[in-house]
Amino acid sequence: MSLIEVNNISKSYRINKRPKGIPGMLANLFVPKYEMRQAVKEVSFQIEKGDMVGFIGPNGAGKSTTIKMLSGILYPDKGEIKVNGYVPYKQRKEYVGSIGVVFGQKSQLQWDLPVIDSFELLKAIYRIPEEKYRKNLDRFVQMLDMGNFLQQPVRQLSLGQRMRADIVAALLHSPEIVFFDEPTIGVDVVGKETIRNFIKELNAEDEVTMLFTTHDMQDIEKVCEKLIVIDKGEKIYDGSLLGIREKYGTTRQLDVEFAGIEHIAPIANVEMVELDELDGRKKRFVFENKQVQINDLMNFLLQNYRVRDISISEPEIEGIIRKIYNGEVITT
Amino acid sequence: MNLAPYMAYFKKSFLNRSAYRFDHIMSIFSNCLRMFIFWEIYKALYGGRQEIDGVTMSMVTTNFVLSMGLDAVFYINDYFLPDKIGNGSITTELLRPMSFKGRMIAENMGNAVFNLLFRFAPAFVVACLLIGILPPASPLMLVLFVVSAVLGYGVLWTISFAVQMTAFWLLNVWSMTTIKNVFVNVLSGTMIPLWFMPDWMEGVLKFTPFSSIYFTPIQIYLGQLEPGEIAIKCAIQLLWIGVIYVVGDILWKCGQKKLVVQGG
Repeated sequence: MSLIEVNNISKSYRINKRPKGIPGMLANLFVPKYEMRQAVKEVSFQIEKGDMVGFIGPNGAGKSTTIKMLSGILYPDKGEIKVNGYVPYKQRKEYVGSIGVVFGQKSQLQWDLPVIDSFELLKAIYRIPEEKYRKNLDRFVQMLDMGNFLQQPVRQLSLGQRMRADIVAALLHSPEIVFFDEPTIGVDVVGKETIRNFIKELNAEDEVTMLFTTHDMQDIEKVCEKLIVIDKGEKIYDGSLLGIREKYGTTRQLDVEFAGIEHIAPIANVEMVELDELDGRKKRFVFENKQVQINDLMNFLLQNYRVRDISISEPEIEGIIRKIYNGEVITT
Repeated sequence: MNLAPYMAYFKKSFLNRSAYRFDHIMSIFSNCLRMFIFWEIYKALYGGRQEIDGVTMSMVTTNFVLSMGLDAVFYINDYFLPDKIGNGSITTELLRPMSFKGRMIAENMGNAVFNLLFRFAPAFVVACLLIGILPPASPLMLVLFVVSAVLGYGVLWTISFAVQMTAFWLLNVWSMTTIKNVFVNVLSGTMIPLWFMPDWMEGVLKFTPFSSIYFTPIQIYLGQLEPGEIAIKCAIQLLWIGVIYVVGDILWKCGQKKLVVQGG
């Protein structure tokens, strides 16, 4: 039995559709119109202990709703969830002590108080023994380089500092499972790297099971081994990160810099090539791996044009995901 | 059940209140001012007479000093849950391994104790010195007054609790809260002592929880109730606490299933 078992969960919201303007407002006042919007449609997945799973999808795909159901905040309309032997929404009080949740868009810190005071409050709430609290705090503060702002009120922190403090707040009680909902949103490059390394280290050393949502594919590439992709409330991919490359990353690209401005004639024998003009001299050829021999293409170019530089690149995960979101790749 | 987390919230709300010193000095002042205004109004209404309908001026004074004092102690944040639903911070609240209702009580108690020490006590001393109120009927009655006042707080708390729970459906509960406050202020006898209510009104009020909040403890304080009546009135207070709590709790359980988290 897996640590996290999700079986066919669905959740829909009632949304008030209001026509625009004052007439619309008046009409809505007397005859409100509602529409049901399905946020999550029969999603199932399993996560094993120690897994580090990326949970991605475009905006409004149902990621946050799923995370909130997993953390016991929302009730699913249908389906079952079992985490670590608990049914989150039914046994909320007992369950939430064993998990940590970071909502990148919502802080759980006390706005007016210094960071350390919020941590002390959490220590009391989670009944963390003094020794464990000290040990965790010292370790996390050192790993995330937070020593210089522990005494500052939360309202005076930068977004990156606040995010690091929020991550520590969710982890002080040594949870076995951590859900991250966009933990790197709005954080700069250096900050993101710090957070990623921290998450990776924690997963490797403490075997903490993690599920995290993000819109930054770098996060996924650098941190996750497994990936779950959902779109419009439905799961469309569940597997390893490598797998998604193999399955959908079937294109390659060739960036060529020519010596002069060239117009590329239709390429003989190689129809499956897409041509992007980067600027006058630089062009990008994108082609299906299986249908085009890279040698043929390169030979053709080298023989017919004066080429200054040439480079081949593997598809970026970001490109693949973009295609999946756009529906260019049929997923099963 | 371990009380430590709840004590932490109790302490936090107590300390938060003391952070705004100017505000709390002004609130002592406003409490005193309110008492003086009522005192002047009743002096004018009595027009030098000793009693009206068997109610003496000093009984009236004692009534409003005590009920306003209790009112200051009983201050309950009616927007505790609505605000958290409104700004989405309900998510973090539900992530705490503790009872949300318990946490709500803990914060309110922190406020109540703060109010008792720093708002009720100073205003009460000022009122005793300048306006003068009747002493309690007997030491026993004083003790029973305290017991009944605690129960009165329970009634007021459960009413606020039940009204707040409607936020799961309404999101904006300002109107509900205002209606509740009008009922509490007028029908509990804070402004107009219930002795002056017409008979039919008193008959109706018997079947509402409002007179249990302030009026029952004050009647006990003044020694207007026989021992048997005290027992019955306190039992009624307990009954109201139970009934309203159950209603609120049903709303809480249904509401959680309805919960819509605002802002993503």
